[in-house]
Amino acid sequence: MQFNFGKWFGTRAISVIVAVLFCLLLDKVMQGPDKSYYRFLMSLAGIYVTLAVSLNLINGITGQFSIGHAAFYQIGAYTGAVLAANKFSHLAATKPLLWLFLAALFGAIAAGLAGLIVGLPSLRLKGDYLAVVTLGIGEIVTIIAKNQKSLGEAYGLSTAKIESVFLISLLAIVCIAVCRNLLKSAHGLAFLAVREDEVASAAMGVNLTRVKVTAFVLGSAFAGAAGALYAHTKAFVSPPDFSMDVSFLILTMVVLGGTGSITGTTIAAVVLFLIPEKMRDLPYVQMGTPLGVAIGIIVAVVLLRKIQESFHGSASERLGRNLGSVGIGIVVAFVMAKVLVMVPAFQSMINGALFRMPVLAVTLVVLMLLRPQGIFGHHEFSWSWVQKLLGKKSPETEVAA
Amino acid sequence: MLETKNLNVFYGAINALNDVSITVQPGEIVAIIGSNGAGKSTLLRTISGLIRPRSGSVSYNGKELTTLQPHEIVKLGLSHAPEGRRIFTNMTVEENLQLGAYLRKDKAGVAADMEMVLGRFPRLKERFKQNSGTMSGGEQQMLAIGRALMSRPEILLLDEPSLGLAPFLITEIFNIVKDLNADGKTVLIVEQNANRALEIAHRAYVLETGELVLQGSGQELLHDPKVKEAYLGG
Repeated sequence: MQFNFGKWFGTRAISVIVAVLFCLLLDKVMQGPDKSYYRFLMSLAGIYVTLAVSLNLINGITGQFSIGHAAFYQIGAYTGAVLAANKFSHLAATKPLLWLFLAALFGAIAAGLAGLIVGLPSLRLKGDYLAVVTLGIGEIVTIIAKNQKSLGEAYGLSTAKIESVFLISLLAIVCIAVCRNLLKSAHGLAFLAVREDEVASAAMGVNLTRVKVTAFVLGSAFAGAAGALYAHTKAFVSPPDFSMDVSFLILTMVVLGGTGSITGTTIAAVVLFLIPEKMRDLPYVQMGTPLGVAIGIIVAVVLLRKIQESFHGSASERLGRNLGSVGIGIVVAFVMAKVLVMVPAFQSMINGALFRMPVLAVTLVVLMLLRPQGIFGHHEFSWSWVQKLLGKKSPETEVAA
Repeated sequence: MLETKNLNVFYGAINALNDVSITVQPGEIVAIIGSNGAGKSTLLRTISGLIRPRSGSVSYNGKELTTLQPHEIVKLGLSHAPEGRRIFTNMTVEENLQLGAYLRKDKAGVAADMEMVLGRFPRLKERFKQNSGTMSGGEQQMLAIGRALMSRPEILLLDEPSLGLAPFLITEIFNIVKDLNADGKTVLIVEQNANRALEIAHRAYVLETGELVLQGSGQELLHDPKVKEAYLGG
C-alpha cells in the first residue's frame, strides 16, 4: 500500500474545514434574541453528545463500567465558573469567546487530572470495583460543592453568560473525531481488545492499566470541557445539575445507542435529551388518554416480541409483520383512549408534561426488550454501510457482514 | 533458558502449585501433563505474569519474571496462547493477528510474519476478513496459535491446544507444533491429552495436585507404567 501524504492531508484538511464551517453555520442560524430557547437547546444537545461520546470511550469501547461521569462534568463546570468569577473575570468580560475556549481547556485539564487520580488506583482492579468507585466519586464531588463556601454551597455559583453554539458543536465534533481516530489507530484495537478479554489482551502484550487509564482520562477531560461550556451557557452552576441522575442519563445514552458505537451514542444522546425537553409543552389531557396509549404500547411490544421469538420467514415478511404489529398497537391505543375517557374515573385532567420521565423510562424498557444491543449495536455509520442499506452491495461490506 | 524454582502459588488457602521447579532449554518441546486441576494452567499463567506466585522464582535467560507485568514478559520473547483459546471473537482474523503483534514496531517484519502465519494456516487466509467468533473450534485454535506467533516469540506457551477438538484436528495441531519446533521455536505445552503431548515432547513433567511427581523424556514417560495407568488409559 502506497502512503499518499497529499491525499491523506487533503482529506483531513477538508474534513476540518467542513466541520468548522458547519459549526459556524449552526452558530449563525442560532443567532438573535428570538432564538434564545433554540440556542439553549442546541447548546445542551451538543454538551450531551460530548458527554455521551466521551463516556462511550470509557464504558463502550474500553469496557470499563464507570457510573460517575457527572463528577468530571461538574469538576469542569466549577473550574470554568470559579476562574471566570475570580482570576479571569476581566478576560471573560472583554474577550468572551477567547475566555470560553480557555475555560474549556482549563475544565478539560482539571477533569483530566481528576480522572488520572481516580483512575490510576481504581482501574488496576478488575470487575465491578470501578463502578463502585465512580459512583462514590460522583457523590463526593457533589457533596464537596454543596459544603464549600467558595463553591457557593447548595446555592451554586453565578458566572458570566457566554453563549457559543460554535464552540459547543465544535467540541462535540472534536470529541467524536478523537474517539473515531483513536479506534482507527494502531492502538485502537487494543482498547477494543481490553473490552473483549483482559487476560488475552495482557497475554498479547497490551498494557491493561495504561489503556484503561488513557481512555478514562481522555473521557473525563472531554466531560470537563463540556462542563466549562455548560457553566457559561447557563451562567450558573449548582450541585443538582450534576447529580447521580445526570450520570445515569449519560450512561443510558451510551447503552441505548449501542455500547461502543459512536454513531449510536450520538443519536441516542440527542434523542434522550430532546424527548423530555419537548414534552414540557404537552397540554393537559384526560387520564384515560395516556392509559390507552400505554395499553397500545404493551400490545405492540408483546406482538413484536412474539415475532422476534417465533417467526422465521424472510426479512421482508418479518418487516411486514413488524409494521403490522405497530399498526395494531396504534389502533388499540386510539380505541382504548376513546373508550377509557368515557369512564368517569378516568376523566380527570392531568398535566401532560408530567409524563416526561415515564416516557423516557418506557422508551428504554421497550428498546431493551426489542433490541438489547442498543440502536446501533457495535456498528458505526460509514458510507459503505449506507450503500449496503440502499442495496448496492460493495465487496468490502459483504465480508464485514 | 526458562526456569522456575520452588514456585508456590496459592488461590486463597488452596496450594495450587507446591515447590514446582522446571527448566526449558532452547529448542526443546517440554510438556506438562496431569489431570484436571493439577495446576498446569496455573503454572503457565504464573510464567507469563498473569498470576503472582507467593514464593519462588521464574527466570528467563537469567532475568527474573515474577516482578514484571504480563506485557513486559511478552516483550522478552515469551508468548502465551491461553487456555480456551480466548481469541477476540468480535474481531476479524486479521485484527486478532494484528493484536498478536501489538508490541512490535517493525511494520515490514509484522507483514512478513502475517504472511508466514497465513502460509502455515491456510484456513485463516480463507477467513481473513471474517469475524473470528463464527469460525469452528479448530480454526479458532489455529488462530490462537497464529496470534501467539505474531509477537515473534522465542518461547511459545501453549495451554491445552487440543481442548474440545476432533481427533483429526488434534493431530493437525500437534503436527503444527512439531513443525514450529523444527523451525527453531521453543515450546512449553500443557496438555490433558497426555498421549499426544508425550509423543512430540523432548521432555515432560507430570503434575499432580500442584506437585511435580515425575519427569523424564517424552518417550520414557510414554512407557512408564505409572503414567500409563494414570493418564494413558492403562
